[in-house]
Amino acid sequence: MRSRIGGVPASYRWAVASRIVAAVFGGYVLAALASVCIAWLLPMARGEAVVSAMMLSFLVYLVAVLWCFASHSAGRAWLGLAIPGLILAAMAGLLHWQHLP
Amino acid sequence: MLAAGLLSYAGFSALCLAMERHHQEMLGHQPSPSRKVQLRMAGWALLALSLWVSVLSAGWAMGLVRWTAVLMGSAVFLVWLLPYRPRWALALAAVGLLLGPLAAVAHW
Amino acid sequence: MAWLHTWAGLVFGWLLFAIFLTGTLSYFKDEISHWAQPEVPVRVLDARASLTQAQAYLQANAGQSSRWFISLPDAREPALSVMWQDPNKSGRGSFTRQTLDPQTGQRIEARDSRGGDFFYRFHYQLQMGYPWGRWLSSLAAMVMLVTLVTGIITHKKIFKEFFTFRPGKGARSWLDGHNVIGVLVLPFHLMITYSSLVIFMTMLMPASINSRYDGDTQAFFSEIYPGNQRLVAAGQPAPLVNLGGLYDRALQQWPGGSIGRVSVQMPGDANAQVQFSRHDGDSVSRDLGAAITFAGTTGAVLEQPRESSTPIAIAGTFYGLHMGLFAGPVLRWLYFFCGLGSTLLIGTGLVMWLGKRQLKHARSGVRPFELRLVEVLNVAGMAGLVLAVAGFMWANRLLPATYPERAGIEVDSFFVVWLLSIVHAAVRSGSKAWIEQLGLAAIALAGVPLLSLLTTNHGLPASIAAGDWVLAGVDLSALGCGLVLAWVVMKIRRRAVLAALPVARTVRARPTMPGEVH
Repeated sequence: MRSRIGGVPASYRWAVASRIVAAVFGGYVLAALASVCIAWLLPMARGEAVVSAMMLSFLVYLVAVLWCFASHSAGRAWLGLAIPGLILAAMAGLLHWQHLP
Repeated sequence: MLAAGLLSYAGFSALCLAMERHHQEMLGHQPSPSRKVQLRMAGWALLALSLWVSVLSAGWAMGLVRWTAVLMGSAVFLVWLLPYRPRWALALAAVGLLLGPLAAVAHW
Repeated sequence: MAWLHTWAGLVFGWLLFAIFLTGTLSYFKDEISHWAQPEVPVRVLDARASLTQAQAYLQANAGQSSRWFISLPDAREPALSVMWQDPNKSGRGSFTRQTLDPQTGQRIEARDSRGGDFFYRFHYQLQMGYPWGRWLSSLAAMVMLVTLVTGIITHKKIFKEFFTFRPGKGARSWLDGHNVIGVLVLPFHLMITYSSLVIFMTMLMPASINSRYDGDTQAFFSEIYPGNQRLVAAGQPAPLVNLGGLYDRALQQWPGGSIGRVSVQMPGDANAQVQFSRHDGDSVSRDLGAAITFAGTTGAVLEQPRESSTPIAIAGTFYGLHMGLFAGPVLRWLYFFCGLGSTLLIGTGLVMWLGKRQLKHARSGVRPFELRLVEVLNVAGMAGLVLAVAGFMWANRLLPATYPERAGIEVDSFFVVWLLSIVHAAVRSGSKAWIEQLGLAAIALAGVPLLSLLTTNHGLPASIAAGDWVLAGVDLSALGCGLVLAWVVMKIRRRAVLAALPVARTVRARPTMPGEVH
C-alpha cells in the first residue's frame, strides 16, 4: 500500500528528510572529525595547525552536503558519510590518545 | 584603479567580441576563426596588463584586491551596457584601450 | 543538485536577503552612525592629544577598573571611544562604553542612537540572544555556500553565457540577470560567504582546539592573540605612564601607519600593561601580531609586534577582506555594490522561484496556499525590509534628541515597520503589495534629506557648507536610493498595466517558458 502526501509518495519525503539530516548533522560530524585529524597531522605549531584545520573543515562540510544530495539514495548518502567518518574517528582517537601525557 | 579598470574593461570587451553571438551584436557580422583567436589573446593580455598595473601601483595584497574588484565592476558594467547600447560599449572599449596605458603612467 | 540549489535557496533566501542587505549597509556603518548622531563634532585628527584626553577621562571615571579600552578617532569615525570593565563583574554585560569629544575629552551629548552599528550587529546576530543569532547566521552562511556551489554546478552554460543578458524578455531576463550577477561577482560572493565562516570558526568548529589543547581553549587564545594572558595584579598601586609618550614609540613600529586601539590592563597597579594595536585599516589582512605591549609603570617593552605565521595570516586575510576596513572611498563603494549584487542574486532567485510555479497554476486559476505564502514572504522580506531601513532612519530624525530610550525605539521602529509590511503583504495582492511597499520606501528614502533639514541643524545646506561630506553623503545616498526605487516601481506598474490589457493577453497566448529547468 502506497500513501501519498500532496501528490508525492511518503517514502520520497522520508528519503529527502533523511538526506537533509545526513547533510546537516552527519556532515558537521564528518567535518569536525576531519578538523581534528588535520590539526594533529599538519607539521606545524599546534596553534597554526588548529587554525588551518578549522578553515579547511568547512570545505569538508561542503563536500559532505553535496554528496548527501548527489548520491543515488538516502542510504548511500549515510553510508558515504559513515565510512569516512569511522575511519576519521579511529584516526582521531589514535592521534589524541597517542599524545596524552 | 582607473587604469586597471579601463584595461580590464577593454580586455573583457575583446573576450566578449570573440564570441559569435556578441560579435554579431556589436559589429553586425560573424568573426572569422583567426579573428576570434586574436580577440581572445588580446582580451587575456589586457586583463593580465590590468593585473600588472594594479600590483605595480599598490603591491601584491592591495593590488590583487583592487584588481579583483575592478574586474568584477568592469565586467558587470560591460554586460549591463551591452544589450542597451552596444555601440557605446564598443566605443568605451576603444577608450579603455587608448587611455588605460595613459592612466597607468599617470598613476590613476 | 538543481533541486538542492532551488530548495535551500528558498528556505534560507529571506534570511540571507536580510543578512546581505544589512551587511551591505554595514560597509558604511561609520558613515550612517555619523549621520545618526549629527551632534558628534568632527575635529582635526590628533591621535596623541585624543589619547591624553582619554587617559584623563578614564583616570577620573574608571580609576578602579581593571581593564580600559580606547578607540582612537579616524577619518571615518570622528568620535573618541573609551570602554572599561566594571571590576565587580565579569563577562559580557560588565563593560561601560562612552563617547568623548577628541579635542576636549568631555562626554559627547549627542542623541542616543545605535546608528550604523545596528545594521552591522544585526547582520550576524539577527537580534537574537548570544550565541543563537551567530549560529543561525552561520548556518545561513553555510547554506549560502552550498547554493553558490550548486548554482555553479548546475549552470551548464557558464562560459557560453558569460556576457549574456537579454532584458525585456520576462522570465528569460530574470534568469539571465540572476546568472550574470552570480557569475561576474562570484569572487565576492564566495569570499564573503567563506570568510564569514572563518570569522566564527572558533565557535563553529572547536573540535580541533579541544583535541589539541586538551580542552584548555584559553591556552589556544593566549597563543594566538598577543597579550591576552590574564595578568595577576601586584596589589601595589603605581601611577600609569603618560600614554601619549608611549604612543610615539608605538607608532615607530609602523611608519606610515596609525594606531587603532589602546588597551590597558590593571591601570594604577605595579603590574599594569599597555598594548597599542595597529589600525585595522592599515592592511588587507587583519594582523593580530601587529601590537606592541609596554609595562604600564615604566614604559619598558614587554612584547614586540610579531610576524604572523602563514595559516594565521590567511585567517586574518579572510577577516580583513570580509570587513573591508582597509578600503578607501572608491573601493568601499565597490564593496557596497558587490554586496548589493549578492543581495540581488538572492532576491532574483526568490522572485524566479515563485514566478515559475505561478505560471504552472496560472491556467487553473487556483493558487495553492504555499505559493501565496512565498509571495507574502517575498514582498515583506524584500520590499518590507527596505521599508524598515527607511523607518529606522525616519525614527532617528523624528524622535527628539533627548527622548529617553530613543536608541531602543529606533530599533523597535525598524521591526514594527517590518512586521506591518508582513500584514500589508498578507492583505494585498502580490503586485499591489510590491508597488505600494516599494513606492512608500521610495518616498521615505527620497524624503530623508528634507527630513534632516527640517528636524536637525545639519541639513544638506549646512553639512555641505561645513564640508561634512559624510553626513551629506548619507542624505544624498538615501535620496538616490529613493529615486532608483521610484524608477523600479514605475517599471512594475507599467508591466502590470500591460498585463491587464486584452491585446496583451492574446500576444501572451504562448507564455515564455524559461529555457532552462533549474
